[in-house]
Amino acid sequence: MPFLCHTRKAALLGATALLTVGLAPPGARADIPDENYRPVLEHLLGVVMPPKLDALHDATDNLSEGIDDFCAEPDQDGLDEVREDFHAAMDIWQEIQPWRMGPLIADGRDQHIEYWPDKHGTATRQFRKLMFDKPAIYTDREKIAETSAALQGFPALEQVLFDDKLSPKLLDDDEDGVFLCGYGGAIGANLERMTGELVDEWPAFAQGMMEAGPDSMDYPDAKFAATDLYRALHEGLLIIVSQKLGRPLGDGPKDGKASRAESPTSKRSLRNIAHNLTGLFAIYDGKWGDTGEEGKGLSALIDSSLLDRSFRLNWQTMVDALDTLPPSIVELLDQPDGYQKLADFAGQVSFVNTLVEGDVGGTTQLGGGFNALDGD
Amino acid sequence: MKHQRREFLKLMGVGGAFTLLPISIARAAAPTSIEDRAHYISASAGDHDDFYVSAFNANGKILFEQALPGRGHDLGLRPNHVDVAAVERRPGLYGLILDRHSGEIRAKLHCPEDRRFYGHAVYSNDGRFLYVTENDFDHARGVVSVWDAEDGYRRIAEFDSFGTGPHELHLMPDGKSLVIANGGLHTHPDFDGRTALNIDSMEPNLSIIDRHTGKLIHQAALKADWHQLSIRHLDVASNGTIAAGFQYQGELTDQVPLVGLWQPGSEIRPIEAPDNVQLRMRQYCGSVRFDASGQVFGISCPRGGLITFWDVKTSGFLTHIAAPDGCGLAATDVAGQFVGTSGLGNGWRMDAIRRKRVELPDDSLKSLHWDNHLRRISV
Repeated sequence: MPFLCHTRKAALLGATALLTVGLAPPGARADIPDENYRPVLEHLLGVVMPPKLDALHDATDNLSEGIDDFCAEPDQDGLDEVREDFHAAMDIWQEIQPWRMGPLIADGRDQHIEYWPDKHGTATRQFRKLMFDKPAIYTDREKIAETSAALQGFPALEQVLFDDKLSPKLLDDDEDGVFLCGYGGAIGANLERMTGELVDEWPAFAQGMMEAGPDSMDYPDAKFAATDLYRALHEGLLIIVSQKLGRPLGDGPKDGKASRAESPTSKRSLRNIAHNLTGLFAIYDGKWGDTGEEGKGLSALIDSSLLDRSFRLNWQTMVDALDTLPPSIVELLDQPDGYQKLADFAGQVSFVNTLVEGDVGGTTQLGGGFNALDGD
Repeated sequence: MKHQRREFLKLMGVGGAFTLLPISIARAAAPTSIEDRAHYISASAGDHDDFYVSAFNANGKILFEQALPGRGHDLGLRPNHVDVAAVERRPGLYGLILDRHSGEIRAKLHCPEDRRFYGHAVYSNDGRFLYVTENDFDHARGVVSVWDAEDGYRRIAEFDSFGTGPHELHLMPDGKSLVIANGGLHTHPDFDGRTALNIDSMEPNLSIIDRHTGKLIHQAALKADWHQLSIRHLDVASNGTIAAGFQYQGELTDQVPLVGLWQPGSEIRPIEAPDNVQLRMRQYCGSVRFDASGQVFGISCPRGGLITFWDVKTSGFLTHIAAPDGCGLAATDVAGQFVGTSGLGNGWRMDAIRRKRVELPDDSLKSLHWDNHLRRISV
């Protein structure tokens, strides 16, 4: 963080712990008025997210067109371009992915867009069979939506475009090459369709949250609606720690396995996390790239500038640590000290999540609950 | 929430003297709802580690608060009698028998040293025997203890629960057998008594035992892939259908059912809500309750702030109603209608058929955090 000298950074990093300890129990504090949550909802759901969904739709549209253009005259340059289109679409998807709510999860949409984690190796198994049988439904741009979730989204396209054995076939004018091109094109069109549905369905969903009130059976007050945003932030970090990092880390150094990470074939497992963090920080901050405005996310509910600055600094420290790592967990685990670096980073994310639980959840009054925390 | 009234409350442990709160308001308020003259009773808590059994009327007006030495959980109602059994939340040491109308303590249950109470108790139909789920922690074995209400609540027997970590139990409609939700979680007081020590090997099940002999009559488990679905809460319809709510101990993003229906003798039928509701259930169900008709049951999901409602006939999801930190659930005498309570102090009347939620009007309810389970007492 260029705006802070080292000493002040250290002081602020330490401040979080003190503030956490010093926080009064929720019952002893004045309740935040419900009206205070409404501007946060309106900003994040009504201002920030819609352009990002548009961007995702545009990126998948571009990807779909790119596949078609490439397949018309397949060559290595064209393949490289499509791969870049894939990365661009994945980048924005990974930013949106942690906002697990409404149309993003309706009808299993998030899993259809990206089926992961695949605990039982379903995709690999089905993919092998697919290449053997080459069923026509997988090259049908409409009907592919009726097939297995594991074979119709980003991970399947990743195999087509990046797998060392499969992707060279795309350049061949034989049965495999023609099928893979048709399949890739169908996945691209399917992704474009699904992200278009997201764009269409988001406004009504967002409106329901923004109009939270006693008559709503879904969101009886603005605070309850804002809880879903807090949960997205909290659970997004949990998923990074327990799955995106936890799965490749396994039970210890000898159990580490990069293939259990997300997007190992396109070698972007940690790049995914970097983009996850961008989307998650937008929930806190209110600004997401060129969209939104700083201080209008959950941070608007935090009345302590010290706590706010401390949280931001801890977050930035985590992001800086990620910046020192390669984009691929495959590459990282190939390094002699790679496992330890990955484990250290997981520890940093985990620490930031304790700040979310304690500082953000406590100060915004959105975390926990008497029964929610009970565990019985 | 404000809890000035409880500042003075300091309770002694089991065996000590209990303070009965002034109950100037007890039974003073006339029930205002013609449709519902019942009272509701639940474990509750204040803001300062102060715990109670509290009752309120259909308007939400608190009728009494009886202080407890530790956090309660569920309550067992003795049929045709004033007794209410309150056993401590796991790992519990105390059990109290209270007067349902005043909260007055009538008897105490003493937990053996090598056992811990698990928060749930149920009476036999004749009201003579009280059955309590317990943890035989040194042997990772669930037990159901039997207490004779007509003999000063003497502990007279102990049965195997046929599983680990037994939690809620109910009397079956035949009056002769008990169904027990064995959550599968092994805990030990040496490790705080709540931390699960066997997540990788847990084996939850539903078991039905003969309440006289302890003999196992039926047992069912979910498929092996779902062994981390802890079966903790259940309710039984008058026709013997059992609805169960699960709590998943695995990953947040795993797609697993959280609700099951069981006809003893067959397999447990898992059922799911649409994705956008299923995710909001947050892998955690807090309590289960059939409505008056036995055709609809509600399952509270406090982590998601939802009460979900399910249709027995179709074995399917019916609807959901938002209820922030809502968990306690009791059926009224109207089909499809429930009263729910929350840890935030809210109380609602909810209609699962018309998808309606109305806040109980009396603000006194808001002075407490209402715990997991709610019981209705007909007046």
